[in-house]
Amino acid sequence: MKSDNKKDEPAVFKRVVSKNASPYNYMKVSLVLEDESTRLTAIELKQFIITGLKSLYGEVGAALSFDLLKYDEDTLTAFLRVSSRGLVKLWSSLTLLGFYQNQACAFRVLQVSPFLLALTGNSRDLQLD
Amino acid sequence: MSAEPQRTLRSLLVSERSSFLDDKNRLSAQVQQHHLNYKVSVLLPECSSAPSHLEAALNSFSTFYLIRKLPLYELLDKHFLETAVYQGSVYGLSYRSRIDQENCVCLTPNGRLSLSLDKDSYELLGFEGKPSCLTVYVSVSLLVSVDLTDSCMAPGGRGYQRLLKGLTSRLRLQVDFLLSHPGGGALQSLLSRYDWSEHSPEVSVRSLSHLSCPALLTSDLQSCDPHSLLEWLGAVDADVSCENSSSSFLSTLVCPEPSRTASQSLSVTVCGLLLPKDVLRLVQELRCYLEQSLQVSWVALTVHGFTDSPVSWGDSEHGVVTGGENFYTLLLFQDQTYQLHLRNSQRPCGGLDPRVETVTSLMSFLMLRFKRLFSS
Repeated sequence: MKSDNKKDEPAVFKRVVSKNASPYNYMKVSLVLEDESTRLTAIELKQFIITGLKSLYGEVGAALSFDLLKYDEDTLTAFLRVSSRGLVKLWSSLTLLGFYQNQACAFRVLQVSPFLLALTGNSRDLQLD
Repeated sequence: MSAEPQRTLRSLLVSERSSFLDDKNRLSAQVQQHHLNYKVSVLLPECSSAPSHLEAALNSFSTFYLIRKLPLYELLDKHFLETAVYQGSVYGLSYRSRIDQENCVCLTPNGRLSLSLDKDSYELLGFEGKPSCLTVYVSVSLLVSVDLTDSCMAPGGRGYQRLLKGLTSRLRLQVDFLLSHPGGGALQSLLSRYDWSEHSPEVSVRSLSHLSCPALLTSDLQSCDPHSLLEWLGAVDADVSCENSSSSFLSTLVCPEPSRTASQSLSVTVCGLLLPKDVLRLVQELRCYLEQSLQVSWVALTVHGFTDSPVSWGDSEHGVVTGGENFYTLLLFQDQTYQLHLRNSQRPCGGLDPRVETVTSLMSFLMLRFKRLFSS
């Protein structure tokens, strides 16, 4: 019986290794503002990041497409998706964004990964107290 | 002019297809090799409430202990070694210590104690180690790996005495430690000496209505691109909307095509220090669930490891700052076949960190500005 089964079953095992094949990179960032009561909408945040790209890399930089996947208005934390080739550009422009409407601000890059799944399972969020 | 800044994080994804009916399938070994699990998430499409046997499996993950300010030499205690470590079923990890900033420790069931130490602590300990993958980014970091089941590490042995002396007199490391041991009886004498608390893994259930799922998903690896599939699973897990059009301003993320809408789906997550044997039991229950419910063609299970554990798969490091997260996703299908996507980094050392790249590209940009300023 067992051997019959084996005959019927095609060879199913297959292994594929993909190296640096991830088309996108994902960033979890939070915006820290001098005046903590300031609130931004998702659209304002995306526009602000595009301004940063434009000031550092010019019009070509501003054309870099990235997605704002998720945004929490209370904590000013966002998930960004950017093509793997554009990661360094986006990251460096976030680093140099120092002012939002004449108040000092900074982007904190909390986590970066080629997989969105990795951003949802960060063990540093484990609270046992 | 400097080169275009476009280097990316290293990523290595191993995708496997096999069948539970194949005697040579390695799933059980692979699950058991991933010792320290932080989060398990299960996605059940076309399911409004989990059947009782599956719910029982999700709620019966082993409890674990948090011991506060545990001096590390306690892990070399003779009684602890005999009752827990030599039995090969103890899992332990330092809690809330960040591997890129602090010393981290973990204890795996193969009896291996791994310490990730900074240079000063390493020199104080005086025990042989090797440079860790973090050295590229953190100033200097070293990994000391000790096999506690080795004959020279038996209580009274030379290696044992040396490590004990290092931990009691020179490097008095104290950490908050997560510890799990089936039954927990063997740990009582250790627990009685310190401030401890027992925790059950936290289970949360989310009901998703009108979820777009990839249609035509089969165990064939080419039926859906693994990266798109993992992206979609991540979007479901993170509660990110996939209902976008290619022209929307905020996000253009969509479900892999062709897609269909599942009227009612269930996403269950379990968080804590989770044991591989509980994960394997859950996999068995998911297989039973698939056999019973014929309208469901697949279910997905994702297991995340701890970010700050010195080792992840077996005894290898995962290079946390060079994009070496450790997780795996298992897709189970009706016909007893499965897809396993392993995210690991067998060789995480080396490779340029995009953070370094960012700084370099900024420097070259500033240099260019200065040059222009002086020439004009």
